[in-house]
Amino acid sequence: MIQSSSIASAYSPPFRIVSKYFIAAIVAFVTLNLFLLLSHSNIIGHHFNPKILSITHIATLGWVTMIIFGALFQLIPVVLEVNLFSEVLAEIQFWIFLIGVIGMVYCFWHFNIGMLMNISAILLNLAMFIFSFNIIMTFTKVKKWNITGLYLAAAIFHLIVTAIAGLLLAINLGYPFIKIDHLQYLNLHVHVAFIGWVSMVVMGVTYKLIPMFTLSHGYPMTYAKCAFWMINFGLLGITTIMHYEDTTFLHFIFTPMISLGIAFFLVQVHIIFKNRVRKKLDAGLTFSSYAYLMLGLTTILGTVIAFIDHQNIINLTLIYGYMIIFGYLSMLIIGQMYKIVPFLVWYHKYSSKVGLEKVPMLKDMFNEKLAQYGFYLMIAAIIGSVCSLTFKTEVGLIISFALMFINSIIFSFNMITIFRR
Amino acid sequence: MITKDMKISKMLAEFPQTLEVLINFSPHFNKLNNRILRKTLAGRVNVEQAAGIAGVNLVLLLNELNKAINLNTITNIECENLEEKMEQNQKPEVLLNINQDKIQKLDVRPIIDLGKDPFLEIMAKVKSLKEDEVFHLINSFEPLPLYSVMQSKGFKHWTEKNGNIFNVYFYKDAQSQSYAKQETQNEPTPVHDYENVIELDVRELAAPEPMMKILENISRVDDKTVIAVHHHREPVMLYPKLEERGYSAIANKINDNYFKVVITKKRN
Repeated sequence: MIQSSSIASAYSPPFRIVSKYFIAAIVAFVTLNLFLLLSHSNIIGHHFNPKILSITHIATLGWVTMIIFGALFQLIPVVLEVNLFSEVLAEIQFWIFLIGVIGMVYCFWHFNIGMLMNISAILLNLAMFIFSFNIIMTFTKVKKWNITGLYLAAAIFHLIVTAIAGLLLAINLGYPFIKIDHLQYLNLHVHVAFIGWVSMVVMGVTYKLIPMFTLSHGYPMTYAKCAFWMINFGLLGITTIMHYEDTTFLHFIFTPMISLGIAFFLVQVHIIFKNRVRKKLDAGLTFSSYAYLMLGLTTILGTVIAFIDHQNIINLTLIYGYMIIFGYLSMLIIGQMYKIVPFLVWYHKYSSKVGLEKVPMLKDMFNEKLAQYGFYLMIAAIIGSVCSLTFKTEVGLIISFALMFINSIIFSFNMITIFRR
Repeated sequence: MITKDMKISKMLAEFPQTLEVLINFSPHFNKLNNRILRKTLAGRVNVEQAAGIAGVNLVLLLNELNKAINLNTITNIECENLEEKMEQNQKPEVLLNINQDKIQKLDVRPIIDLGKDPFLEIMAKVKSLKEDEVFHLINSFEPLPLYSVMQSKGFKHWTEKNGNIFNVYFYKDAQSQSYAKQETQNEPTPVHDYENVIELDVRELAAPEPMMKILENISRVDDKTVIAVHHHREPVMLYPKLEERGYSAIANKINDNYFKVVITKKRN
């Protein structure tokens, strides 16, 4: 049984470190949508395309991973009741990672696969190793483990695997040495990244944050435990078999295992939502709940892709990637940011003044109405993009990407409003 | 520097690393691992009393603690107090002659084992005592902080250790009663009968609204008034805010999703 507590505590690191990561990630999200809009003509085609690779890395590294780093620096100390091992390392890591992301994105854009690409990949690896080291050292001080901690520990393991696989891929582009197919190895890199690293974090943190925001308690956590073992075993299986050429047979075991694990996670989320005390969902929770729905749809799509000859239906992989990054992750991140950032800023600036002078309510920290419009725009953009990718209609893509871009502007406007308070 | 008069809670807040020192020092301190007990009991006990409870040498403990915060001051305090206590082994006459049915027994070990604070139960029991009755408390450690509380209420104590069990008898005699009167005249004592209780139920509010509601009402708390908060979790974030403004809180866990928190004004 997890006791829901607050997202800030005596163990939290200084606010300036966390906010730095958040601001960089928000900038990346706007940039990502701008690039997507500008290079829409490149999007219809095979996913192994410089522009797509570049944009994907703005999304995965600059936006998703950047925000996860910041959120974990805030949440791990709170959830596991320890101080962060080193705040200095968290600070250094930020700059190394930022330079690495910019370098990597630049190299993919111009398809410069030489020295600069390798340096960027090494910088990114360095940042991720610093992060892993910092978090593992923090873990050693933990006295009381809980299910969220277990998920986060697994996430760190997969982050290291992702980083190493990414580095090998980057070197392989310029100096081929990987014996198996580059695209198959890329498949491994992507799945460990999304299921192992990102989703482990998402799930672990979900078990903590959703009960906290919806005031839900008194439910069993059985599904969360099942999900953990299913997904991790499945993932380890997939990583192993992908090193061999013939993957068909074992795929039938491991892929459904992961899908089932994700289904268990979604059942657990459903139980948490069902037990909530606050029935009304605000903007942040509306985004989040639809993100879980999108995760379900994406998982079905991913399972289908694993069993059909996707090489011939090239836009299916694109749709799959788009659903992961926008439907599931961006939706969830935006929703959670609308809950976390106002609280952190509020706590930082106003908590000492309550009762002594007038302070704003949490919902007055940003324009909730605007956030709701952002939600509708985003849903329209996702449906529009998926349809346009399916039927390869360029006009549809332009309109959808434009809607998503407007949504990203609304989101960043709201975030800036909160930060400037 | 950590002194013998420093409250355990203050020490743990300022130097979190000392928790480990305590736990390594004696298994008795394992109880501090429990967050609730740490919050409640540790706020009432100072280092000297803690050493007494665990039955360890105060000077050695202080040296270890100060070492942990990189202070190598060797503490030289006279250990009079420790020896003084040992002398008190003669069973007082009052207790020798008392009729068994005049003894009110309370075993708080199950409460402690549940990780709860038995203080309120003890006080309720004491309040129900008749003038000529004796209160017999059974505990797994010596409840040193309770002695001073009971003293202010006019009780003397006599403690008998039986294996791991401490049998503490609280009784009144002429001497202790006059002491209690003096005490109340000189300075306010830590335990009072409060006249007003403001009940706040924040169980249906999401963070940070419980904190806002509590802090907005905090100015109504005074020497005679307390706030009783019904909370869905332990409000650990609230404690520093209360501390800043001169209030203190005691949380009692009822179950996983229900905590009763009593907020009082600190006395100088």
